[in-house]
Amino acid sequence: MSAEILAAPSSGIAPVGHYAYDQVDRAFLHDRVEQFRDQVARRLSGTLSEDEFKPLRLMNGLYLQLHAYMLRVAIPYGILDSRQMRELANIARTYDRDYGHFTTRQNIQFNWIRLEDTPDILARLATVDMHAIQTSGNCIRNVTCDQFAGAAADELLDPRVHAEILRQWSTLHPEFSFLPRKFKIAISGSPNDRVAARFHDIGLVAKPGRHGTVFDVFVGGGMGRTPIVGVHLRDNLPEEDLLAYLEAMIRVYNEYGRRDNIYKARIKILVQALGAEGYREKVDAEFAAMDRARYRLPPETVAAIRARFGTPALDAPSDAAERLAGARRADAAFDRWVRTNTHSHRAAGYISAVISLKPDGGIPGDATSAQLDAIADLAERFSFGEIRISHMQNVVLGHVRQDELHALWQELGRAGLASANIGLIGDIIACPGLDYCSLANARSIPIAQKLSARFANPDLQERIGDLQIKISGCINACGHHHAGHIGILGVDKKGEEFFQLTLGGSAASDAAIGQILGPALPEDSTVDAIAHLVDAYLVHRTDGERFLDTYRRLGAALFKDAVYALA
Amino acid sequence: MDVRSNRREAGGSSVVTANRLLDGRIVWLAGDGAWSGRIDAAHVFSNDGIEAVIDATARRQQADGVVGVYGVQVRDDSTTPVPVTVRERIRAFGPTVHPEFATLTEVPPDVR
Ligand code: HEM
Ligand code: SF4
Repeated sequence: MSAEILAAPSSGIAPVGHYAYDQVDRAFLHDRVEQFRDQVARRLSGTLSEDEFKPLRLMNGLYLQLHAYMLRVAIPYGILDSRQMRELANIARTYDRDYGHFTTRQNIQFNWIRLEDTPDILARLATVDMHAIQTSGNCIRNVTCDQFAGAAADELLDPRVHAEILRQWSTLHPEFSFLPRKFKIAISGSPNDRVAARFHDIGLVAKPGRHGTVFDVFVGGGMGRTPIVGVHLRDNLPEEDLLAYLEAMIRVYNEYGRRDNIYKARIKILVQALGAEGYREKVDAEFAAMDRARYRLPPETVAAIRARFGTPALDAPSDAAERLAGARRADAAFDRWVRTNTHSHRAAGYISAVISLKPDGGIPGDATSAQLDAIADLAERFSFGEIRISHMQNVVLGHVRQDELHALWQELGRAGLASANIGLIGDIIACPGLDYCSLANARSIPIAQKLSARFANPDLQERIGDLQIKISGCINACGHHHAGHIGILGVDKKGEEFFQLTLGGSAASDAAIGQILGPALPEDSTVDAIAHLVDAYLVHRTDGERFLDTYRRLGAALFKDAVYALA
Repeated sequence: MDVRSNRREAGGSSVVTANRLLDGRIVWLAGDGAWSGRIDAAHVFSNDGIEAVIDATARRQQADGVVGVYGVQVRDDSTTPVPVTVRERIRAFGPTVHPEFATLTEVPPDVR
């Protein structure tokens, strides 16, 4: 859908934090479900072969994985309302094995789906304005966003309106349905990068300019087998040129990106080949030549989209902060959770709460149907029914009254959702790995489980401090291992699992790619090796230094000895 | 199919596997030509003749209601078929992180 069909404001009550669909959107989704129902019927009858059917099911988010079909459902810019969350719980309960898995791209995956059920599942998703379109294939994928968008104290502006505009522009974009390779866009409105903007095909940072919103643009970042930190393409792109400029960027990619070699097909390879300057020149030439009026994003359109977003009425009592402080003094465990699992809110008396999906010894990103329902209930009670999924595989309630935070925490405890480990060693990203994924070399989840169990002690976790461990089961790097302070990559040696460690990566504003420490380790010594790395850090760190800082200051040799000298 | 999963050594033996079209579940080719959800029902073929078996089976996959037919080498030190690679052991016995989803409850603990 390009700019001209952006919808007009509706009169209904919009859900807080995301865009309200109208009849046109709903009719489209309905047709799309029926189209897929027909395709499935033709596949089952044999009219369509697997080779013909595969691209069609992938366009609807349906993969064939190790044990079953896997359905990937988009959560646009990571925002759900409680009604949508309950439907996800229903789907998990009715059609899957009672749980779902949140991914690093703000999607949810169901691992045990039957092909024959999929049209019904998509129909149920459509009843709550959700779908699985463009969660696979060489198109523009789900646009991801800051999990604290519209709430964070450090935010300059709420990027979700622009994320929605990009969603509408990129959905079924006729020119960009068959790009050389998949295309991922992230957008943030804070100078503190929480979306890994420099690891996306396009990363956007929105900020207020002298004459309205402007964007800093990064291009050509990515993980996979060729990890690259994106280059800073330009500053202060005016809002009205946002779609035109992105259009130009992707046209150049569509024209010059390689289609002969899947490993060289991402835009990052093109940008490296042309050089940042060369690529910028081509984009600028395209931008100058194109019909700019057609892609112009006028302020009225932005306002119309904004009007379709519900906004929370933030009116905490004046003693909210004081009451939170009192509750923290009275309850040390709560106080610890507040230290690790909350984020400052822009409005007085409010706070954002992070619900960790990383219990000690648990599977990162998994939630049972009962937990999904509990989160929906708590969102209604404490945060205007609005729920956010973070790229760290956690859940955020954005707008919680400070005087109600203690009650929320108690309820989370009852649902098994009160782990106090956000940003700490227990907050591990792990891809599905060899337990589910047909591309995997090794299992990711068991390593995460062993690590979080080993470092379960909350005092120890806080003493170790900010430490991001990220695990991928193969070089595709879905678990972001390249950007981990400690990255763990599964490799296959003659059918057995080995793990390669990388140190020094970061997905934040100081983005960097981790460096390989040494030879890959067998599974049973990998967890010990991480413990040795942590010990070495604790011995050598200076006050206030994160693991990453100590590594950057002292280099790899010391850590290498810690792991390999003992072996 | 990924070469990694499909590699075989001369002199070894293999079973034939696929995913069921309707629900994606893993199946194994039994002696009577039917597909079973249990690897312990699978027929073990010598690697010498297996390519022909895989080809013939792949040709009738639509009629059989399966997709992605390939061969999986099994250990020669076990009386029931146990795949040599971790990947295929996970396919055969279920994800290691959910013991309650095990496909065979009586799997010997040392095969994981
Ligand atoms: C289980 C099915 C999955 C398959 C088949 C799959 C496949 C892939 C492939 C082939 C790549 C490399 C793309 C490239 O370099 O061109 C990739 C990258 C990536 N995937 Fe996945 N993936 C799966 C699951 C996931 C999950 C569960 C997550 C989130 C936890 C995820 C998030 C990502 C991210 C963030 C990247 C790296 C960013 C990029 O360069 O695109 N994927 N995936
Ligand atoms: S990193 Fe590899 S193993 Fe992990 S989900 Fe991605 S493709 Fe699968």
